[in-house]
Amino acid sequence: MANQNGQNHASKPTDLNDLGARLNAAKAKYEAVPEVKDDGSMLGQAWRMSTELVVSVIVGLGLGYGIDVIFGSKPWGILIGLCFGFAAGIMTVLRTSAKMDAQNAGIPLGDDMPDDEDE
Amino acid sequence: MASDPMEQFKIKDAAELFEIGGQTISWTNSSFWMVVSAILIIGFFALTTKRKLVPGKMQSLGELSYEFIANMVKDTTGVEAMKFMPFVFTLFFFILAANLIGMNPYAFTTTSHIAVTAALAVFTICVVIVAGIWKNGLKWFKIFAPSGLPAIMYVIIIPIEIISFISRPITLAVRLFANMVAGHVMLKLFAIFAAFLAAKGGIVALGVVVPVLATTAIVALEFLIAGLQAFVFAILTCVYLNDVYHVDH
Repeated sequence: MANQNGQNHASKPTDLNDLGARLNAAKAKYEAVPEVKDDGSMLGQAWRMSTELVVSVIVGLGLGYGIDVIFGSKPWGILIGLCFGFAAGIMTVLRTSAKMDAQNAGIPLGDDMPDDEDE
Repeated sequence: MASDPMEQFKIKDAAELFEIGGQTISWTNSSFWMVVSAILIIGFFALTTKRKLVPGKMQSLGELSYEFIANMVKDTTGVEAMKFMPFVFTLFFFILAANLIGMNPYAFTTTSHIAVTAALAVFTICVVIVAGIWKNGLKWFKIFAPSGLPAIMYVIIIPIEIISFISRPITLAVRLFANMVAGHVMLKLFAIFAAFLAAKGGIVALGVVVPVLATTAIVALEFLIAGLQAFVFAILTCVYLNDVYHVDH
């Protein structure tokens, strides 16, 4: 096995024992602090949700305005578009947070909803 | 000394290459630094993949980055999405390299232009749409109309779903672009303030300590942001790829 991968000489067993010991030590250290990893992605999640909310409202507003310009229905397009945009923003954020909760609870994603994929 | 904080984002034409339909295509400082980041990534992975059984320091760095993206794709979308792993990998490392290169003095931050980030984001969404239709056919459009609702609800749900789909590329583009611009402007402002205080001389010059400390802190923050935004872009690509495989949600 070792020969296939550029290791032409058998390594001394002491080396392997040493490596095993060090690996276990490193693993123990890693398991002691499992939460450190989360910090960066928490900030990422915050960024995600805030931009999703804001941009959805803006897109709704823009679409409404576009409909107004095309059909000449001056105030109504913007009004309805704004409402839909806001609803879309809230829905996206709720969906995102539900996924995050599922992830935190250790439920594998994609299994949290009973989806019959295409057969 | 450039005293305009927006000066650093200026595109400079280095050479005009050719013309398409009245629009001159130029080789700019932005394109130069894009090529630099591409070369750095290719170089990095070319040098770190020696395929030894027991990896050295650099090889494990390369392998760790592979596993990082592979696990991200697997955890977020599922094993079936591993076809897209090279795409996510490229996106992540291009953005990461561009962001980090932008942190160097005199280098240009390519990701600080919405044209660049929007191109990446729109391409990502096009991949999702094309792959989705390729795999599911017209059934793919069911992502806009989740099943199991009373008919009247579709009048409300379909516009909402469409809006939330359209806002995806925009959020991707705006988030990356805004983060990079804001960070670099902040950095420049504090640096200019430090230079301004130092130039005053006398007792006022002692105050230079504050903006210098702030600049140092922001540099650290910006390195965090550079990695974070690349990560967010990549993980959202994975989330959006979900729509290729899980149409009924």
